[in-house]
Amino acid sequence: MWKVVIRGLLSHKLRLSLTALSIVLGVGFVVGTYVLTDTIERTFSDLFTQTTKGIDVAVRTKATFNNQGNEQRAPLPATVLDKVKDVPGVQVAEGTVTTNGHAQFVAKDGKPITTGGAPTLGVSVHKSPQLQVVTIRQGKLPDGSDEVAMDAHTAEAHGFVVGDRVKILLQGPPQEFRITGIVGLGSADNVAGATLAAFDQETAQTVLNRKDSYDQLDTVAAPGVTPEQLRDRVAAAVGPDYQTLTGKELAEETAKAVGQFTKFINYALLVFAFVALFVGSFIIVNTFSIILAQRTRELAMLRCVGASRRQVLGSVLGEALIIGLVAAIIGLGVGLLIAVGLRAAFSLFGADLPTTTMVVKPRTIIVGLVVGVVVTLLASFMPALRAVRVPPVSALQERTVTVRSQAGWLRTSIGALATAAGVGLLLLGLFAHINSRVLYVGVGAAVILLGVGILSPLMARPIARLLGWPLARWAGEPGRIARDNAMRSPRRTASTAAALMIGLTLISTVTIFAASIKASVTKTLDESVAADYILTPSSNTSQGFSPEVATRLANQDKIASATGIRLGIAKINGVDQQLFGVDPNAYDDTVRSVIAAGRLTDLASGGIAVRENVADQHRWHVGDAVTLDFPVGGAVKVPIKAIYKDNQLNGPILLALADYQRHYADQLDVIALVKAKSGVSAADSRAAVERVVADFPNVQIKDQAQYKEEQFTQINRTLIFFYLLLALSVIIAFIGIVNTLALSVMERIRELGLLRALGMTKSQVQAMIRWEAVIIAVLGALLGLVVGTFFGWTLVRALHGVGITTFSLPVGSLLVFVVLAAIAGVLAAIFPGIRAAHIDILRAITTE
Amino acid sequence: MTSEATATVETALAARAVDVTKVYGKGETAVRAVDGISVGFASQHLTAVMGPSGSGKSTLLHCLAGLDRITSGEIWIGDIALSGLSERQLTLLRRKHIGFVFQAYNLLPTLTAAENIDLPLSIAGRKPDQAWYDRVIDAVGLRARLRHRPAEMSGGEQQRVAGARALVGKPTVIFADEPTGNLDSRSSAELLGFMRRSVDEFGQTIVMVTHDPNAAAFADRVIFLADGRIVDEMIEPTAERVLDRMKSVGA
Repeated sequence: MWKVVIRGLLSHKLRLSLTALSIVLGVGFVVGTYVLTDTIERTFSDLFTQTTKGIDVAVRTKATFNNQGNEQRAPLPATVLDKVKDVPGVQVAEGTVTTNGHAQFVAKDGKPITTGGAPTLGVSVHKSPQLQVVTIRQGKLPDGSDEVAMDAHTAEAHGFVVGDRVKILLQGPPQEFRITGIVGLGSADNVAGATLAAFDQETAQTVLNRKDSYDQLDTVAAPGVTPEQLRDRVAAAVGPDYQTLTGKELAEETAKAVGQFTKFINYALLVFAFVALFVGSFIIVNTFSIILAQRTRELAMLRCVGASRRQVLGSVLGEALIIGLVAAIIGLGVGLLIAVGLRAAFSLFGADLPTTTMVVKPRTIIVGLVVGVVVTLLASFMPALRAVRVPPVSALQERTVTVRSQAGWLRTSIGALATAAGVGLLLLGLFAHINSRVLYVGVGAAVILLGVGILSPLMARPIARLLGWPLARWAGEPGRIARDNAMRSPRRTASTAAALMIGLTLISTVTIFAASIKASVTKTLDESVAADYILTPSSNTSQGFSPEVATRLANQDKIASATGIRLGIAKINGVDQQLFGVDPNAYDDTVRSVIAAGRLTDLASGGIAVRENVADQHRWHVGDAVTLDFPVGGAVKVPIKAIYKDNQLNGPILLALADYQRHYADQLDVIALVKAKSGVSAADSRAAVERVVADFPNVQIKDQAQYKEEQFTQINRTLIFFYLLLALSVIIAFIGIVNTLALSVMERIRELGLLRALGMTKSQVQAMIRWEAVIIAVLGALLGLVVGTFFGWTLVRALHGVGITTFSLPVGSLLVFVVLAAIAGVLAAIFPGIRAAHIDILRAITTE
Repeated sequence: MTSEATATVETALAARAVDVTKVYGKGETAVRAVDGISVGFASQHLTAVMGPSGSGKSTLLHCLAGLDRITSGEIWIGDIALSGLSERQLTLLRRKHIGFVFQAYNLLPTLTAAENIDLPLSIAGRKPDQAWYDRVIDAVGLRARLRHRPAEMSGGEQQRVAGARALVGKPTVIFADEPTGNLDSRSSAELLGFMRRSVDEFGQTIVMVTHDPNAAAFADRVIFLADGRIVDEMIEPTAERVLDRMKSVGA
């Protein structure tokens, strides 16, 4: 039987290689994702091993929040250091400051030095050589309030040498420092893409806002004391409020935190990889159905000569197994290329990921192979079952029956049921208050697509008839025959189109979603922003800018009010909740809020204001005191002073600035709103703002229109990122169209011969294939747009609560997709068209 | 119409082969399928080409119809020489001047009978001459079946549709390759009768390859081929005489 399998494979090399290509790409995406995230993880774990190598025991506060690796920890008071120093067995103990995003260099041209997503670190250097993390390349370590060491990468990229003066943007006003040293980390020039500003301990505490406190205490054990022994002693001395770990544990813990972040990237990318595989499986189903239909007689013959059904099934699945395996193996290689491509996509998005040698774990290889084989086998199972139902007598009959499936009630009911179930799951995931909502949404969406895919043969005929109408009318005989061909086997047309539908569903979903966000942003800005100027960090990966900006602006005589907004996270009943720290009076001036109860200005005496839907969810009322768990100070009861209506700008919770300063270690504004005094001309007020901002090159001034423009640019960039990720699914669907057409050409070789004999020119034959491809592609696009519009609409409805208040249907973009699909159809038809045009007429019409 | 003019029409050649050779393969394995054939096919005649399997009769037909390139010699359709034509010109020639009836699989399964009949004209972007079209349809006796698809028709009906399709464009010559090969005797007789009428009543020219003496008996003239050469011919054939000649040729 295996001989039959191998021969079968060899005789269908071309069509099978196109099928295999869809698996190759899908597996490649999966493998690429793992390789990329493993590589990132390895980079960081190497780094942390380097940065913790001298530490025997470290002490830090417990993490209050841990969002996708973005840990928030409060600093620990300097008094803890004294306790640690007294622990017997501690040879050296030092407090260190390590902050992220609060020390940004300014280049010689006056522009802030940005990174592609990596933090701008501000740290203190250790005093004792045993603990020293940085390696001096030139000069010496900083020692003094105007001295700094710079990482070698930044120094080289921006032309700084020892002795230069450099301006650094800080939480307070910007300051100038003298570069005393250029440093690296071991052999690395910087910390995984981050910039590094290193100060001596006292200076770090001052400029990085760590007065009388440290981020971490590092100790070295005395000779004869193991890190574990010391850890236990230190833990006993500092008490349970603090986390005490050995250097090795610290490296592992830190790496784990990063691991959570990479896991998030991993899952996000795998979603797209599985979409690609899902699309690929449609193509496998299609190819196998067509090939097996063509081989009906061959299979029946096998049955005639005594092969059992099981053997025939085995031979068909054997083919699938080999294809899946070969494709998966090639996919492993392609995966490495895709990993490089994904990294490029990320950097386009503004997130440079560190570059090191690719990490290919055995797990990656196993997952790739298993995924490739399993998907191929599953997808070929239905066609294989259909094939074994061929009665042996078919071998003796005149011609193979052309598969013209009249989709029956069974298909209708299964398809309708699946679609309904998918819609149910989707709505449950989007609107119900349940766990793992993302899973419901994902599975729901997949099931809907499957259901529509099952139903699509029912729609293929009428829609193809409609789409083909102008062709039949104006594209002559080739157009008319193309329409007939598209309609003759609805199942084939539909499943080819369905592959494209999946990609276009997701593309139109994100497009609609993005358009709705834009519409919501516009609405929010128009309705609720009373500010004349909106100040934002110039780099979108920046953590924010100094509150000094808003403070100085508020003191300008042409400015009515200015407020910075600070971002924070607090836990409410154990759930992370984002909040904004605001100056209540200035905020009330610059943002128009519709108040449901209480007064915003009452926040001046502390407390919070809550958005109506959040208040409703928790059954909160003005005057209630609710418990919020903050990074600094822990769980605290705070009074509710006001409840406001839905408004994207406000966010779910506003916290009085005074409270914010008490409960968060770092004070950086993510945005500042500025309102000019009435009667001041735009030119004058802008000049006033520019004067203040001149000292802070990391701040951009935008009026409402510019701000809106920038928001749109960011949304568009994200959209392009999604398009890139979805492109693979579309490419696979494209391959599917090529494949189906090529198979159809081979199947209809006699008809083509007849048409050529009757005087159809080669270009007419090509036109005929082309129009069929266009019908299939546009059919897929239209189905995708319909499902995508539904997805987009439900998504926007579901996210109403987080500020996406307006549903917007970008008709123009959606039409462009249809046109692009038609063009893709034209391109997909090129190769099959050439084959069809170059058939040997004589052989086509004379061979039995 | 003078008798001289009538004579010209009668002797005008719709298709002509001049010293045509067709060689398949090269060197040792070369096969001379057509070996120096010169023959003319008179307008408004039904000519049958007969011969045993491998005699080159189908190859000759394919070459005459411009479906296959010849190795040497020249082929004329009307007054057009085929050797100088490009692939595209050949296609356009087939479209305009040549009609086909094949042994099997003559029709597109997706099209109705009427659409199949219109096919060559639609491909050329031409409209059928309605009066002519009606005559052809009535002659073929398929008016009631025009909306049916091939799968709903018998083999004989399908071949008659193919015949009507060949006729409707008023080609210079119709080539029929074993048109009755897959038909029972009654359907064969119907189809041949239709072909005969096409020549007699509509003034068409038909060249038909067949190995059935009964089919050949419908022709005005029979040409016998063996080993790629013309070995004999017969005017006004009958089935018996053809059969006798076939035996002597060695079929």
